[in-house]
Amino acid sequence: LKILIADDDALSRRLLEKALERAGYEVLAVENGKQALDLLCKLDGPRLALLDWMMPEIDGPGVCRAVRTRSEQAYIYMVLLTSKGSKEETVLGLESGADDYLTKPFNAEELRARLRVGERILLLEDRLVEARENMRFRATHDPLTSLLNRGAVMDLLTRELHRSYREKKSAAIILGDVDHFKRVNDTMGHNVGDEVLTEVANRLLGCVRSYDFVGRYGGEEFIVVLSNCDPDFAPGRAEEIRKAISSRPIHSAKGPVSVTMSFGLLQSGEWGLKPLEELLHEVDNALYEAKAAGRNCLKLARPAVKAEPAAPPLPQSVRLRR
Amino acid sequence: MKNPKHLQPQPVWNHAELLERVDNDQELLRDLLNIFKEDFPRTMRSLESAVAVPDLKSTTRLSHMLKGMLSSLGGMRAAAAASRLEELASAGEAASLKDAFVALQREAASLLPEFNAYMAEVHH
Repeated sequence: LKILIADDDALSRRLLEKALERAGYEVLAVENGKQALDLLCKLDGPRLALLDWMMPEIDGPGVCRAVRTRSEQAYIYMVLLTSKGSKEETVLGLESGADDYLTKPFNAEELRARLRVGERILLLEDRLVEARENMRFRATHDPLTSLLNRGAVMDLLTRELHRSYREKKSAAIILGDVDHFKRVNDTMGHNVGDEVLTEVANRLLGCVRSYDFVGRYGGEEFIVVLSNCDPDFAPGRAEEIRKAISSRPIHSAKGPVSVTMSFGLLQSGEWGLKPLEELLHEVDNALYEAKAAGRNCLKLARPAVKAEPAAPPLPQSVRLRR
Repeated sequence: MKNPKHLQPQPVWNHAELLERVDNDQELLRDLLNIFKEDFPRTMRSLESAVAVPDLKSTTRLSHMLKGMLSSLGGMRAAAAASRLEELASAGEAASLKDAFVALQREAASLLPEFNAYMAEVHH
């Protein structure tokens, strides 16, 4: 674990350095408050810090206050080192954002014990952050396929429409549905059905670039959004996706399963200023046409109203939702 | 009942307490004394100039720094003298600074030979 020592007294720095190296820390030592603050504000900077109270440039409490104003970064556990002993000064130090204080000359055992308290606090914070990230992932991803769920896709799509309109770029929405999926579930069981959906998700992800996105729209329906995709190339890209699904069987626990998908495609040049719900309705109609045409094919959406590219502002429905 | 320790004068150098604080690391102690040998005379010279002016802010800062150095090395009597000078300077008592500085010099003069003797001993 990295630890920062900030002290303008070379002797005290050396003492601390040695005591902390013995305890297994990776020690970074600086001699003023400005250098300390710069290091603590780095993304991969130390999360444990021992700060002398009186230092050139910025004093210890000043460093604590500055660090605490940066709420976006991981918690930093800071201990003030002081030869000051009064209650008022202790209170002032803690009020500046320090977690603890240690009076000089310090005892090495006490120092290490106090830093272990800091490590426990940091570990607790890491666990809480991890739990929050897991919850965030679960709230935005489909548990079976780990793709974005419908809500997350709608949010991203709204932003993408906004962006492509603003930047006058093209994008494409592809809606796909696994053909005869009910038959897979009925004849081979739901576990195989789940395997099919998982592999379909993997293949869809394998067909897109890092800045495109794929989501599970619901049941056996998937949505792919191709960002900044030239309208001339969008049908070709959708065809590649269709072939990636149908070209080889999916290997399941009960043997290979041949799967095809039907697709509807809507290109950005055709959506003009329509609300998102209407766009999705149009691409859904195209998907329905593909089903009606015998499945395992792609149909392009034919919007009833053409684009009005010169007419700002962006409609309310396409505004960024937070 | 009073603690008998209160009645005993502090030693010039509390060597045993210092060794315990550095986990009995003689090599580290030698390093620290070398740093001290370099930093202490320089800081004392700056402090002497600040007291002569008198520059209260610099006197406070430098005597604080010396207090830290001296107490880190177990020179508690000299550290107390530096602390007294720091208190006077931060209280703005310019007239008392010179006497307090002389007192610090006196304590340092009895501490430094102890450090030197230790250095000579560990070198043999």
